[in-house]
Amino acid sequence: MTSELFAVFLGSSIRLATPLLLAGIGEMVSERAGVLNMSIEGMMLMSAFAAAVGSWATGDPFVGLLFGIVSVLPVALLQAFLSNTLRANQIVSGIGINILVLGATTLAYREIFGARSRAEIPGLAKVKPPLLGDIPVIGPAVFEQVWLLYAGIALIVIVALVLRFTSVGLAIHAAGAEPKAVDKSGLSIARIRYACVVFAGFMASLAGAFLSIGDIHTFTEGMTRGAGYLAIASVIFGKWRIGGTSLACLLFGAATALQFQLPALGIGVPNALLIMLPYLLALLAVGGLVGRQMAPPSLGEPYRR
Amino acid sequence: MSTSLPRSVDAVAEPLLSLSQVTKRFGNFAALSEVSLDLRDGEVHCILGENGAGKSTLCNVIFGVHRPDGGVMRYRGAPFDPAGPADALGQGIAMVHQHFSLVGDLSVVDNVLLGRERGILNRKECARQLERIAAEYGLPLDPFAKIEELSVGERQRVEIVKCLIRNPRLFVLDEPTAVLLPDEIAALLDVCRRVAASGRAVVLVTHKLAEIKKVADRVTVLRGGRTVATSDDPAGDIGALVRAMIQGNVEALDSSAASILGLEPVTHVGHEPAAKTRIEVLQIDGLSVKDSQGVTRLDNFTLTVDRGEIVGVAGVEGNGQSELTAVLSGMMEATEGRIHLGEIDLTRRSPKEITAAGVGIVPEDRHAVGCVLGMSLAENIYLNRLDEFTRFGFLNRTALEREATSLMQRFDVRARGPAALFSSLSGGNQQKAVLAREMTLPNLSCLVAAQPTRGLDVGAVAAVYGHIRDACKRGIAVLLVSSELDELLTVADRIVVLYRGRVMGSCPADPKRKEAIGAMMAGQPQ
Repeated sequence: MTSELFAVFLGSSIRLATPLLLAGIGEMVSERAGVLNMSIEGMMLMSAFAAAVGSWATGDPFVGLLFGIVSVLPVALLQAFLSNTLRANQIVSGIGINILVLGATTLAYREIFGARSRAEIPGLAKVKPPLLGDIPVIGPAVFEQVWLLYAGIALIVIVALVLRFTSVGLAIHAAGAEPKAVDKSGLSIARIRYACVVFAGFMASLAGAFLSIGDIHTFTEGMTRGAGYLAIASVIFGKWRIGGTSLACLLFGAATALQFQLPALGIGVPNALLIMLPYLLALLAVGGLVGRQMAPPSLGEPYRR
Repeated sequence: MSTSLPRSVDAVAEPLLSLSQVTKRFGNFAALSEVSLDLRDGEVHCILGENGAGKSTLCNVIFGVHRPDGGVMRYRGAPFDPAGPADALGQGIAMVHQHFSLVGDLSVVDNVLLGRERGILNRKECARQLERIAAEYGLPLDPFAKIEELSVGERQRVEIVKCLIRNPRLFVLDEPTAVLLPDEIAALLDVCRRVAASGRAVVLVTHKLAEIKKVADRVTVLRGGRTVATSDDPAGDIGALVRAMIQGNVEALDSSAASILGLEPVTHVGHEPAAKTRIEVLQIDGLSVKDSQGVTRLDNFTLTVDRGEIVGVAGVEGNGQSELTAVLSGMMEATEGRIHLGEIDLTRRSPKEITAAGVGIVPEDRHAVGCVLGMSLAENIYLNRLDEFTRFGFLNRTALEREATSLMQRFDVRARGPAALFSSLSGGNQQKAVLAREMTLPNLSCLVAAQPTRGLDVGAVAAVYGHIRDACKRGIAVLLVSSELDELLTVADRIVVLYRGRVMGSCPADPKRKEAIGAMMAGQPQ
């Protein structure tokens, strides 16, 4: 592999990992608080659609991003309401939401765009960070990325600091490990878990917007194609840690990027096999390759006093 | 004079917290009915009662976990209706709960900080505070140790320090001594006295009379959710308090049950071994168990139980007892070692094969392992032998319920009938049903009973002891695993002590050896 090709591969790995990273960190926060947020896929799709509509209608991708964020809020609140207040099964309710969103966005897309489905949608701007962006070959290929990626990295650093050093982080960890202790210490489990699900929704909305107006500048029906589930898998792969989850997202991103790189190198691997690769890795991860004992003990269990 | 100081006179006259006619219902069940109670500054007030008497519910009402359905509470001279634990904490009420609520993979400091501080955590400052409290009350702790590395006694200390650091005006402890070693209990009672001596009020829930004699200034007795007695001189009124608690004649009480209550000194009421010549029934040889994370839970455990012998396994909970019974019942696989029942090798056999060989198991968690709550009493009594009542794949319910009824009479299982839902039975009757099932195995030669009296009232405890002794008279080898040392001293012939999965020592079940056994439970070989 030439250095140019490798730089392109690295760059596209990061680009493809970004939505996973954004959604994955949000999912991790939600799971650390004890809510298995399966609706991350639906949240991403909702935001991808709303961001595309917003950007197309106003011509301003930033407004599109805001559309995406706002559109996910009711979905996140619905998930939080089902899994905390109604104590519904989190997996079933999450999948239900995913199917609902898939149907709703497909219908709305056909109604709104119809024949104009090839219309170009204005996308988020790319930035070239100083110093890093000036490195020859690697600079433009690897570091020239949509600004949302850099904003996301900053957010992830903030999340890491909050989890480690603040009372909020302590409360989130305890809510997923020993919710009784949280309740008895005078904090509200419901408030913590609602907040974490909404935060996961916010991160998923950034991820969804990145897909439609950051990456390919268009919306297609069901365009998340399981990225939300990959984000969940990366949380498991990363053992519910920020560093691990981020690395897992990069790995899945790289596995996806291979689809485009291997044919370019003239290596004859069936494309369908390559498309399977990240999902195959995810299956191995979830299937106990990393052990289950790291999961927050109360993950997926609604709290009852 | 009297006109110039009306307020301070009132303040002295009014108790710190008063409950009048407080009622709490769960569905149709009244956990508390019209309970009245006064708590004064500077006193240790014990709440005495059997399991299910409403003690925990009372504490939870005070702490704001449950909201009362009726009655009035006053605290510090004002109406008191806490909306939740946060509210109670904010008003100076702290509570140590019956079950620990600590986050295992966090440090002591983090557990103490949870819910106390906002914003960025100052762990160093908290560690300093912890050290001050530790010195003041004699509760040493490593602030940065993880909870999961601590012993049960140390975890209890963390729970207590978590409360003390809030400097509470009212300190509620719900059965805090159930899991502690004798000297840890003494230290805890000392903390209660010190808190009361500093002018604050302590509520101590217990069913152990020895503790009441030691620390109580006043006692309130609950039975069936009602206040049935109060005393300002607990040590003097102890007989009357016990009568009120169990609503019966103390003299008529089985002496073993009385010693469990601490009513009389533990006396050994065992029996003469059935056979003079020893016949080994259960042989456990070098048994080791590693859990899924590779931690050794049981380490080279060797023991034989003879025909007609009751061997007690003592130890603080979590020292390998659960693993021992799980392996013996076939629910867990031993990493090393062998189990024999007479000539039969039972190593790595399935629960079905173990039952068929004649081993009866009374599991420690009767709800998770011992029964199916959603099935009928009759089905549960014959759960392991349902095929005897099956013809061409169909269950003959008439025969099943007829047989179950006769067992219900023999074992005094009280229920609406054999078709009653198992979950509708009281804990004592559920346990008697489990015993009925296990003790009527056709070829029973060995009974393994784990914590068989946990959560049972005195009458049921006496019944369980009676059945265990009967089994022994029939020549059955009994292995009794219990964390209640008094229980073992009362019932068993011989006691082996487990500490961190190893046998720390063994001795005859002689009440005079209690101190030595307590030391072995704490890991000191004798």
